[in-house]
Amino acid sequence: MKKTKLGVILMLYASIACASLAIVYAFTKDSIERQSEIQLQTSLKEIFPQASTFELVEDLTSPEPNIKFEAVYEVKSDAVPLGLAIKASGPSYGGNATLLVGIDLHRSIAGVRIVALNDTPGLGMNASNPTYYVDKIKKVTFLGQFEGKFLTDPFEVKKDVEAITAATITSKSLAKIIKTAGDAAIAYMDQKVMMASMEVEKPNGETSIVAPPTASTGFPIGSSEGKSKEKIPPQAGGK
Amino acid sequence: MKKLYSIFKQGIIFDNPLLMLMIGLCSAIAVTTNVSNGIGMGLAMTFVLLFSEIIISLFRKLIPSMIRIPIFIIVIAAFTTIVDLVMKAYFPDLSKSMGVFIPLIVVNCIIMGRVEAFASKQDLLSVIADALGMGLGYTWVLVGLAAIRELLGNGTFAGIQVMPASYEPILFFILPPGGFFVFSLFISLNIWLKKKMEAAARRKELVSKKEAA
Repeated sequence: MKKTKLGVILMLYASIACASLAIVYAFTKDSIERQSEIQLQTSLKEIFPQASTFELVEDLTSPEPNIKFEAVYEVKSDAVPLGLAIKASGPSYGGNATLLVGIDLHRSIAGVRIVALNDTPGLGMNASNPTYYVDKIKKVTFLGQFEGKFLTDPFEVKKDVEAITAATITSKSLAKIIKTAGDAAIAYMDQKVMMASMEVEKPNGETSIVAPPTASTGFPIGSSEGKSKEKIPPQAGGK
Repeated sequence: MKKLYSIFKQGIIFDNPLLMLMIGLCSAIAVTTNVSNGIGMGLAMTFVLLFSEIIISLFRKLIPSMIRIPIFIIVIAAFTTIVDLVMKAYFPDLSKSMGVFIPLIVVNCIIMGRVEAFASKQDLLSVIADALGMGLGYTWVLVGLAAIRELLGNGTFAGIQVMPASYEPILFFILPPGGFFVFSLFISLNIWLKKKMEAAARRKELVSKKEAA
């Protein structure tokens, strides 16, 4: 009889705790979602400062089984495409890491921002530390080194990617997520251009209303004519 | 008032949770790689400790002693989750810089230890004094550990470069072995301090006895 009483008391405490947690969760849920949405928008704006709209793209999924694309945005500035932004998550040292990877039309990384990372404080978490430099002389952060990096590079830690000290697993996993997202984005953009050019070549023979695929529909991949590459590729690692 | 002050003082040197009671070590070694982490973890821990102790102390007569441990765990875990959610919702910047420490607090045995050893038997005011003292004792050790490890292992203090550029950081101090090394130095320092203070107190007692006689 006494044991039953104890059980009932424990159950009471547990249910009170559950109820208060449920209430707090319900109250804070909207606010938390709004905060993460604001954060995502600011990160997108940071990567593509000229962008005006971010359109959700549905038909791009990750080729890797353990890396997921949570959201893909087509970045445009007044209908002129600037590139793609992919919110990708994959395994890292302390569970899943979520990154926002921006890919521009020059087949290079426009920028990388961390959405969520739970690695060791002081070691792996230095990936998100704005004052931790992998290149102390040039003051380049771990994520900063990817900016302007061309996807033709291998993205291999200790070859063309500088690792975070004592956090090789984090460095490798993040580089892999960025590479996967970048490659998928390039493949997607290539496909878009192909489809756009096929539309142009339709043997309708009528007036050529169709503009060159640069401006309206597709991505001007490989069309290097006149497009001076503002971004100089970084010297690959130096090692 | 004097009683409250002596309770508060206990946690800083004599019963320091890290250096004397030796509890909550894993998170202490893990986060003390830079000073701002140390301050963040110290404050978050003090906050949760204070409120968990208050709640347990208020309910202490309603908790049957046979099932006290599961009830403590429920209260601590629920409270930590509430803090986490509220911080995420209303203080996103704070939550971003301290987010990693909140889950570490749940498994921090200082809270469990103090709740079991102190809060479940004492009244509200003593409990508040104890939580603040323990929190301060925990925080100063974290900040001290982190300052030495960051300075020697990274050449910085709270993220600001202080060592000259020619200084080659000793990586050993940032890694766990260095953490244990600095930690053991702190333990010996604390024992030395404690002995000094005890000797001083004894001398004072003798003097007052002589005067009385």
